[in-house]
Amino acid sequence: MASAISVSGLFKRYEARFGGISILALDDVSLQVEAGEIFGLLGPNGAGKTTAVKILLGLTHATAGEASLLGVPVGRPESRRRVGYLPEGHRFPGYLTARATLSVFGRMSGMSSEAIRSRTEELLARLRLSDWADVRVKKFSKGMVQRLGLAAALVHDPEVLLLDEPTDGVDPVGRREIRDLLREEAARGRAILLNSHLLSEIEQTCDRVAILRKGRIVRAGRIEDLTRREARYRMAVEPVDEPLLEAFRATGAAVERVNGHLLLSVRDLAHVNLLVDRLRAEGRSLKELSPDKSSLEDVFVDLVRSGGETGEPEKVN
Amino acid sequence: MKAFVASVEDVFREASARWTLLAYFALSSLFILIFAFAVNLDIVDGALAGAKLFGRSVEFRGGSVDLDRLVLGFESGFSAFLYLVGTFLAVFATAHLVPRLQEKGTVDLYLSRPVGRVPLLLSRYAAGLLLSASNLLYLIGSIWIIVIWKTKVAHPRFLLGGGVILFAIAALLAFAFLVGVVTSSTGVSIMATYGVFFFSALLAGHDRIAAALSKEWQAKAVNGLYWIFPKTAELGQAVVAFVSAGAAPQRLQQSLNVWPFATTAAFGAACLALASLLFRRKDF
Repeated sequence: MASAISVSGLFKRYEARFGGISILALDDVSLQVEAGEIFGLLGPNGAGKTTAVKILLGLTHATAGEASLLGVPVGRPESRRRVGYLPEGHRFPGYLTARATLSVFGRMSGMSSEAIRSRTEELLARLRLSDWADVRVKKFSKGMVQRLGLAAALVHDPEVLLLDEPTDGVDPVGRREIRDLLREEAARGRAILLNSHLLSEIEQTCDRVAILRKGRIVRAGRIEDLTRREARYRMAVEPVDEPLLEAFRATGAAVERVNGHLLLSVRDLAHVNLLVDRLRAEGRSLKELSPDKSSLEDVFVDLVRSGGETGEPEKVN
Repeated sequence: MKAFVASVEDVFREASARWTLLAYFALSSLFILIFAFAVNLDIVDGALAGAKLFGRSVEFRGGSVDLDRLVLGFESGFSAFLYLVGTFLAVFATAHLVPRLQEKGTVDLYLSRPVGRVPLLLSRYAAGLLLSASNLLYLIGSIWIIVIWKTKVAHPRFLLGGGVILFAIAALLAFAFLVGVVTSSTGVSIMATYGVFFFSALLAGHDRIAAALSKEWQAKAVNGLYWIFPKTAELGQAVVAFVSAGAAPQRLQQSLNVWPFATTAAFGAACLALASLLFRRKDF
């Protein structure tokens, strides 16, 4: 069975005009997103995230490579039939009401009037917009417009969701609701591709991520795998003194004192147990012991910095 | 088809919400009011009263003119004015349709739906033509009814002449769409389309211009441009000739042949095809 989203060897070069510089926005990008999965696409500004999403929607044409949605090659209108999209910086017509907005975009997705009516009520209630159903969009706050955008992306009950900064401008309660909604949609078997700068959001929402830098995927995988640091543990002990640290170092462990904790680099789990034995032998009290994990932000910043100051695309003459 | 109709409806909704529709019809209403005021002047009323007393003739410039012919003459002359007003208003009211569609944050919303790019562009073209047609019907229809009310003379050709005006609008709108796709600018679309209108009208005298040129290639270029561009001057004359039903001077009657229509249709079709091709290939 075909992946919900499939991208293989995708290249995109924006050609120079009038002697300018051409830009390689995507450089051999491949990824798969399965049904029921929430996939995060990360990267600094200009890394190629939006270009990748636009190619999936046929808004931009790939220079080379293949991409498909639910097995249908992108570019064909049919590939977008079961896809919902929330673009960044969308501009819904201000003269439309929330209800009319969903009606227009529902009809453009081929829905019947009856289906639009029932789905509109459901979505407006789900996104806390029922009281604003007949108010013109131009009166909406940024967060409300964002929630309406999400409703418009969901109106035709798509199987694939492509969301560009879905929580942009939304208050913390709204963000939680959107996260819950995305989780519900994934539980219903929807494949979701999330494009965001808010790494904490991605960390809390996504199952897998890919990090783009200069148009290339430089790291991809499950968040637990990306944020786990091999054989590093955080330990809180009382009391801590130099003889204890020397006893630990004597086993071959590297020890650092960080904010009242000990950060231990060890060979393996048996080595950790050996340190715990030494601790007890010294008559100290173990207060806390946990594997040391980095945040997604740490991983992201390390990766971006390792490739230069920014992740902006390569300029090619 | 559902998406096509939804897109057409969206254009009308947008036009009414953004005051375009109101301004378009308000300007037309102003022309209608001025016309209604003019036909209610004492001099017109007096002439028409005379016509009612002394059969179907009116005293005009010291002679007697048949009322039917007088109305026909007026309508055919006025149709040239309506041709100018109608096309200018139509271009002004519809040239924004593509640039506004192509705005960042808007185009993504429309193109992410299962609608082909070309049908989307054509739906907006159809909406623009419908908008223009409805305004033309309002403008010409109102004047036609006022004339019937005042004179009891009905010439359906005056109303049908609107079809020729709509034909010219269709060609000019196709050009405005092409410029809109390339530049994404409403202002440039309007200016370029008005430019084509006047330039084409100038080319109506291509024979005289070519004769005045010193080099042969220049003369050939002018003649070539004449055949490429829409025949805005000839179409204006064709409206008058059509409405006058053969009563217009021979010079105008000559415009009522297939060539101005065929070449203008070819220009419009080529512009629309090129606009569709570029819109289809464009990266957003």
